[in-house]
Amino acid sequence: MRTPAQRRRARRRVALRKYATVLGFLSPWIIGFALFTGWPMLLSLYYSFTHYDLLTAPSWVGLDNYRFMFGIGTIHGQHESDPYFWRAVRNTAWIILISVPLRIVVAMLTAMLLTRPKRGVNVYRTLFFMPSLAPTVGAALVFVYLLNPTTGPVNRVLSTIPGLNAPLWFYDPTWAKPALIVLGLWGIGDAIVIYLAGLLDVPRDLYEAISIEGANAWQRFRHVTLPMITPVIFFTLVIGVIDGFQYFDQAFVSSTTAGTSPGDPQGSLLFYGVWLYQQAFTYFHMGYAAAMAWVLFIATMATTAILFATARKWVHYGGGMS
Amino acid sequence: MRSPRTLLGAAAVLAVAVAAACGGGGSSSGASSGGSHSPVTLTVWHQYAQEEAKPFENGIAAFEKQYPWIHVKLELQPNPDQDTFDPNLIAAIKGGNAPDVAVGFTPQYAGQYCSSGLWEDLTPFMQKDHMSISNFAPATQSYTNIDGKQCALPSLTDAYGLYYNTAMFKKAGIASPPQTMDELAADAKKLTVRNPDGSIKVAGFVPLNLWEELDIADIGHAFGAQWFDSSGKAQLATDPAWTQAFEWQKSLVDWYGYSNLQKFYATYTNSEFNPTNAFETGKVAMVFDGEWRTAFIRREHPDLGYGTAPFPAADPSVYGSGRVGGTIVGIPQGTKHPQEAWDLVKFLATDTPYLVSLANELGNVPTTKASGDSPDLHLGPQFKTFVDIWNNPKSSMYPPLLPTGAGYAQLADDFDAKWQAGNVPNLQQGLQQLDTNIDNQIQQGETP
Repeated sequence: MRTPAQRRRARRRVALRKYATVLGFLSPWIIGFALFTGWPMLLSLYYSFTHYDLLTAPSWVGLDNYRFMFGIGTIHGQHESDPYFWRAVRNTAWIILISVPLRIVVAMLTAMLLTRPKRGVNVYRTLFFMPSLAPTVGAALVFVYLLNPTTGPVNRVLSTIPGLNAPLWFYDPTWAKPALIVLGLWGIGDAIVIYLAGLLDVPRDLYEAISIEGANAWQRFRHVTLPMITPVIFFTLVIGVIDGFQYFDQAFVSSTTAGTSPGDPQGSLLFYGVWLYQQAFTYFHMGYAAAMAWVLFIATMATTAILFATARKWVHYGGGMS
Repeated sequence: MRSPRTLLGAAAVLAVAVAAACGGGGSSSGASSGGSHSPVTLTVWHQYAQEEAKPFENGIAAFEKQYPWIHVKLELQPNPDQDTFDPNLIAAIKGGNAPDVAVGFTPQYAGQYCSSGLWEDLTPFMQKDHMSISNFAPATQSYTNIDGKQCALPSLTDAYGLYYNTAMFKKAGIASPPQTMDELAADAKKLTVRNPDGSIKVAGFVPLNLWEELDIADIGHAFGAQWFDSSGKAQLATDPAWTQAFEWQKSLVDWYGYSNLQKFYATYTNSEFNPTNAFETGKVAMVFDGEWRTAFIRREHPDLGYGTAPFPAADPSVYGSGRVGGTIVGIPQGTKHPQEAWDLVKFLATDTPYLVSLANELGNVPTTKASGDSPDLHLGPQFKTFVDIWNNPKSSMYPPLLPTGAGYAQLADDFDAKWQAGNVPNLQQGLQQLDTNIDNQIQQGETP
């Protein structure tokens, strides 16, 4: 007969062994995360409070990097601020505010069209999905060529329209971001597939029910389709916003191909990620770049949290879940 | 946290001790080499790829003949973008396995290499060998001696000047290349041919910032503009030469029409180093370009009739000078064979037959006076211009290299991109803001 204390100890041993087993199985991930994500993140947090140029040891500067970023207070007794930080923030906000909703609407409408055809459905779906398989860098290069104001096929066609002043696309600060939007919409296949799955998942009987009530097409969309695919919209919204904060490849490639430096023309493609990259790897302001990365991380987390908070009000999960 | 640092510290101490023990130090003498002449293998990182590799390897073979106890192991370390310093090299130096000699193609980072001490100061070696930096053109100092440290030497360089199409000059009745900025603008207008819709068919001279090699820094230099005042503050707003430079550029841009120029620019995007190059194909009559264009033309358009001259100058005292800068050689921190490494650096920087043959093969400007004057240099009459530009006392690598580099110049390019497009309402205010931004950025890069 074991005493209660003994039994407790035995239970604890069993529990510990179970933890050990769980940890054992998790260890590849835990070690990988700690070594290649957790530790570098902690280090970058430390670097964000230092002056670090890669060449000499980091030296502690307190909040100077953050002050310089936001242009708050004084550094070395002078008011100093990053001349491009807010431009990069504005450009990034622009791409998120314009491109994310546009992608959602276009992907949804395309997916709705793709539910229609009776024959060759798979051919259409494949065709629309294919562009999203193209590597971003290659696609950006091709678009710089396609949209070249003089030699590109797009403007050759546009120039045949009398009276139309064809845009200079990547050579004009007003048109460079819209050109990237075009590129983004071309490669929208991944979102289309998700919307397609969402649309096909809407129970038929709901449509039958609302049709019996005498609803027209708009009402069917507004009161059945839209609510039923809000989880898909929410998903693409969150992913789109996070991608928008990290917007880099397309902008970097197109601006350095059409122009000469990242952010061309005239700073119109200087997104947050592009400026962060330049701070780190062109100017070797590693400490400052680390601070920028942390601000980006916090902004992304905060925005995502806000989106999740609002989701309760407008995202409907089918099957009675709220 | 603690143990790795201690280990690294110990390794560093050990490395220094070993270096001191093996190097023969400063006590040994002799122009050829100190040390014991016991066999040594030097590791050399370089960037001579493809057709440039063979001539370089031949040079190294000649070195090994002169120094039979030194074996050189070549490692190609390409840095294709060159928009950052050699990251592998920095990692190797910090990791304690740096090559003994580095041959770098990015002199614009010499500022950081010198000021950080990651490239050794060569002064003691030079003193010992009674070698003076005045063996090289004065411009050498501008990109090898930073923060008071001579941490690199030049081994061939680029030099920039004006190329002009002689047939087009003849047709337009222009007898000689422009020497002043007014003449440049007047000739550019004379040589320009427009399409019926006003767009540019042939451009006399494209004044856009970053049209191929042209930079606002070059236009500024032509007006005698200086980047910094005596206290080291940016002075683009206060040096009137800058205002003249910006206004000269803008007035020529406006004569063409900015959007015409942008379309022209877009047509020739990425054709600078192709046979479709606008100057080589007769679409541009005058261009600011480097000496290597002579080799490109010989290879791609040997029938093109062209001449070369220094870039025009509004300030007569700077006529004949221009932007220069090229390959740098040095000794990364931590080599175990400093003496032998120096022997090789010295060879790469000063051996006349090596410099002349490499210059002939690569079409770059030889960097010592002896090699520049060598009768064996056979690069054609147009090339001489660039040798002279290199040797001109007012030539330098600009924008000036600071201990934190020259990255600040990007701010001037960004500003000029807006200015030439007509998006800067008030030049003076814009330049004041630019000065502030430059000062800020330089300060941001300095270790507090």
